Amino acid sequence: MSDPTAATGGTASVPTGPRPRYKRKLSNYLLDKKLQLRYVLFVTILSGVIAGALGYLIYQQKRAASESIEKDLEALTKADASQEDFQERVASGLESEDRALVYKMVGVGIGLVVILSLYLLIMTHKVAGPLFKVSMYFDRMAVGRLGVVTPLRQGDMLQDFYLTFHQMHDAVRDRAKQDATELEQALVSLREAKNNADYRGEKQAELDEALAELDKHLAERKKQLA
Amino acid sequence: MSTPASKPAYKRSWKNLLINKRYQLRFTLFMVGLSTVLMAGLGIWVMKVANETTTVSMASVRGTPCPKVPALTEAEELPPVPMKLPSEDPAPAEPAPEPPPVPSTGIDEEPTRRVKVQIEESTMEMTPTLPKVPTDFVAKVVGHYTCEMRLAGKIDALEHGRSLILWVLIGTGLFLVLGLAVYGIKMTHKVAGPLFKVSLYLAKMKDGRFDKVWNLRKGDQLVDFYDHFKTAHSGVVQMQKDDIEKIKGVIAAAEAAGAGEHATVVELREMLKRKEKAIE
Repeated sequence: MSDPTAATGGTASVPTGPRPRYKRKLSNYLLDKKLQLRYVLFVTILSGVIAGALGYLIYQQKRAASESIEKDLEALTKADASQEDFQERVASGLESEDRALVYKMVGVGIGLVVILSLYLLIMTHKVAGPLFKVSMYFDRMAVGRLGVVTPLRQGDMLQDFYLTFHQMHDAVRDRAKQDATELEQALVSLREAKNNADYRGEKQAELDEALAELDKHLAERKKQLA
Repeated sequence: MSTPASKPAYKRSWKNLLINKRYQLRFTLFMVGLSTVLMAGLGIWVMKVANETTTVSMASVRGTPCPKVPALTEAEELPPVPMKLPSEDPAPAEPAPEPPPVPSTGIDEEPTRRVKVQIEESTMEMTPTLPKVPTDFVAKVVGHYTCEMRLAGKIDALEHGRSLILWVLIGTGLFLVLGLAVYGIKMTHKVAGPLFKVSLYLAKMKDGRFDKVWNLRKGDQLVDFYDHFKTAHSGVVQMQKDDIEKIKGVIAAAEAAGAGEHATVVELREMLKRKEKAIE
């Protein structure tokens, strides 16, 4: 799979300007080479083999019919030398017909392979796309960034999987938000308690330090959840 | 016998192979459908050409001349055998014995009239005309019928060849469709399997459980995707660990300062317990 962070410019970078309009490029369709090419190549080669084998069988049968006609014609015109030219003309016509059939079949075969490959590329992209997007969110989660998850594009596959991911992401995000709120309240409450209890000395300094660290931690967490 | 704590061995069954019906069937049916269309379309074309070839070849075979059976029309002239008996014996033929005398009725009777027939000569032939049989007659007849049978055999072989092509096409088509269906499901299972596994972990994470993430099975696809998931999982676990560390610090400091029984510290302990349980 391609590195999803590469497409987003890395996880650490923060976009400053307006979001650039997404441009569909042919290279973008090949997001997960291993996954997509495996399927594309398998189906394309399989179709090629079927078309090739049956095409060869068609050519072989056609050639056999032509040879039979040529042989009969040769036998008929053997006695008459004036008919030799006619026989050669017919034989040459049959041969060129058979050759034209081969070209036609090769053309159709190549067309089939090209169209099929493009179609399969788009088809597999509908699976690789959501996986790419989820991978991108996974990379953000890895550094604790739990931003908003946007829905998939219309026509994308793996909608059920994406929904499960979305629900998980939202649940983790909500829980993190809730924890942050609770810790914030605890921070306020303990600061108030500290003032009221009038703690003294080294222990108060330690508590102050711990609360300051928690405050810093919460500020960072809020930034990540934004 | 396995202990209840040990993990039961994973059994692959056909039911388990189809874990993401929509995705797996879509890709498998596309492959199967495409192959069927190709096989059917090209197969019909093959049969059409094979029929033409068979018809042409049959016509060619039927046109092959066979040695003819020689006609038996020329008769051998034999001298006619006369009906006249040979008259080597100079003695006159013995007269036929006289019939016995009819008893007299007493009426005026006419004298009895008798006819004497003697066949001396006849043109009727006693022996039939024999056809003239050529010396190589038998060889020619055998040659003729051998040729006829050889041609009939060739025609049969052509018919058989045509049927063979048809049955080979049908057999190959069916084998291909069934084989592709099985292979397609197994192939897509290697993608659906990891997705299924990740889905299970996602459901756990949704419920606030961040268990250890195990590796994929050998041969599974989406290995890179799974690595991304593992880093995400580690990231969330790290978030919990960071929280735990800070909460522990605050609780320890509060306890040291004599505020260990404060309601907020009690709440923080509960939160700590919950978070620690989540990453067990």
